[in-house]
Amino acid sequence: MNNEKTTREIIEERIAPKKRTPLYSRGALKKIKEEFKRWKNTVVREPDRENWEVTPHTIIGSEIPRELLYTPLSNAELDYQADLGFSGEEPYTRGVHPNMYRGRAFTMRQLFGAGSPKECNRRMKALLEHGATGTNWALDLATVQMFDSDEPESRGQVATVGVPIDCVADMEVICKDIPIDEVSASIVTHYPRNTAIVFPMYLVMAERRGISWDTLPGSVQNDFIMESLVRSASEYIPPRDDFRIQCDNIEFLRKNVPQWNYVTLNGYNLREWGTSGITEMAVAVANGIEILKEMTRRGHDIDWVAERLAFFWAPANDFFEEVARMRAVRRLWYKIMKYRFEAKKPRSMWMRCHVQTSGVSLTREEPMNNVIRAAYQALAAVLGGAQSLHVDSFDEAYSIPSVEASLLSLRTQQIIEAETQVTQVVDPLGGSFYIEALTNDIERRILDEVDEIEKMGGIVEVVTSGWLHHKVIRHIEREQRMIADGQIKVVGRNYHRDPNLKMPDVWVHEYDEKINRAMGDKLAKLRRRRDNQKVSRCLKALVEACRRGDNVMEYTLECARADVTEGEMRRAFIEAFGLWKPPIYG
Amino acid sequence: MAPPKNKIKVLLAQFPLEAHSRGIITVAGMLKDAGMEVVLIGNELPERIIEAAIQEDADVVGISTYCGGELALGTDLMKVAEEKGIKDNTAFLLGGIFPPRNIPELEKIGFSGAFLSANKEEIVACIEKAITVKKGAG
Repeated sequence: MNNEKTTREIIEERIAPKKRTPLYSRGALKKIKEEFKRWKNTVVREPDRENWEVTPHTIIGSEIPRELLYTPLSNAELDYQADLGFSGEEPYTRGVHPNMYRGRAFTMRQLFGAGSPKECNRRMKALLEHGATGTNWALDLATVQMFDSDEPESRGQVATVGVPIDCVADMEVICKDIPIDEVSASIVTHYPRNTAIVFPMYLVMAERRGISWDTLPGSVQNDFIMESLVRSASEYIPPRDDFRIQCDNIEFLRKNVPQWNYVTLNGYNLREWGTSGITEMAVAVANGIEILKEMTRRGHDIDWVAERLAFFWAPANDFFEEVARMRAVRRLWYKIMKYRFEAKKPRSMWMRCHVQTSGVSLTREEPMNNVIRAAYQALAAVLGGAQSLHVDSFDEAYSIPSVEASLLSLRTQQIIEAETQVTQVVDPLGGSFYIEALTNDIERRILDEVDEIEKMGGIVEVVTSGWLHHKVIRHIEREQRMIADGQIKVVGRNYHRDPNLKMPDVWVHEYDEKINRAMGDKLAKLRRRRDNQKVSRCLKALVEACRRGDNVMEYTLECARADVTEGEMRRAFIEAFGLWKPPIYG
Repeated sequence: MAPPKNKIKVLLAQFPLEAHSRGIITVAGMLKDAGMEVVLIGNELPERIIEAAIQEDADVVGISTYCGGELALGTDLMKVAEEKGIKDNTAFLLGGIFPPRNIPELEKIGFSGAFLSANKEEIVACIEKAITVKKGAG
């Protein structure tokens, strides 16, 4: 297709001439090799020798074969400085900060949002009073899918799984009395279009409170993979246009809200939809590469752009795989930034991430078992060096979490942080023969998949063609068969299932029709009191900006200032870009 | 004599805002494995789902829902199905995450099955039974 070198080719070319300093002496390795052979043939039992390698099968696992025992021979060429180094230094395998959690504990960021904007404000304040160190907003489906609360599509779904936001006034209620210049907010605007519409409402709210945008800490998701690939929806715009909006948002935020993390490259939802831990990371990394290429094309300095880029990962049940994955992608991202993009600032080379424990690995059967699953997953994330954490609640296979389940999740984090002492030592598993071999293997596999994507024309192309959609569908179908035939063991469901199993009475969030009506009344009033001519002008300007190729957020900001609603802006985008049909529906 | 229609045809859909599709893809795979013909139409308003069911001459309509609206939109769906005359000869099933206490109400408005979790055998059995009831013994 073109002669551009792939990321892997560039990295390999740049690393090849570097002289390596192996940690192990040839003599020692030779001796270990002889002894290993003797031990394996005489001490290890025949069946263990024959099944030396096993492949773990787990939900959304990566099926990487594991040996019975790892030794220096598993990583015989290890060069300590080149491959591991010290924490806070290249290649950042051991962590992005020299002192890691001794300097600052991971941010305990429990996702929350349900009920009216007022209720959301009350519960976010309660979580902060219990020691949460940031807010993390779940938006309701109408808001995520960019419909106003009073559109026919929103019927029955307003405020069910998150907070509804139609306009700036809702932002003002959600953030009332929260010091938004001190407490960082993770606003889970999954999609580029959703970010372009909702985030300016946050900025206008700050403006009306007299708070300078320079001081605002937080993050948005803004990931076109979420909008064009992972989600299900009734309307899509073409992935190429969606990718452009993602980049427009980044450019605007970088210029105007300097402390804001403008993209969270979301591996999480892709993996939870149904893919391995390798594909999760490869897709997010490939999107990151494409963004940085586009920003360079737009003439921006790579370090100016890259220092605020962040990732979002899903740790599942295979404990050591999860620890190794975090280390592997940290080293790979460093190599990409250093060699592919020639970044100069250390911060640009950091793979910083938020982690949420895996929802699809939870079961409806015996839901208290989910407390254990989530705790192990959270521990793996911390041992892997995550910056920020959400622990799923045990009742999430039933409903959005109850107040007490949500508190238990926060307590799980606090126990890891304050009682287990795992945060005292940086990268405590580093140097383990097993962990290092697995880290190498995973890094290689991620880069292989990035290479595969690049050779097919890059991330936008593999989304547009449906190649990634079908990869996920195959994964989901195969995984389901493996659960049905017991190859994947799920305790309490298909393994050691209680023959007298009864589904427990778990609290579930109930739909409150009143909120839907109240949101509708508010919109009706808003449409009467605002300057509707100004609204039309702003929307027309937005459509034209989309068509001309101007940065869309400049225009959605003006829309927000004029009290344009979310649904109105969504329709402007559709008018400008037209509809796209994802290649999975027949 | 008309040739017997031997493959059960299932139309799978979600209500307009539903963002999750792991469930519907999982069930589509199960039903294909069970030898049924599956048409996946994605997110649509109740009117469009019924229109598609008529166009496709589906024996079964399956709805996947995670984020609420199952009662409000399920009621709308059944109303349109009745108006268009397919409620009595089409089996309606629904699965996903919703309050368990809504199950009796969902059955009352016309769903032959409302599943919070189920394996392939349970879903297939429910479909076969519902079809027998709806289409009579012949």
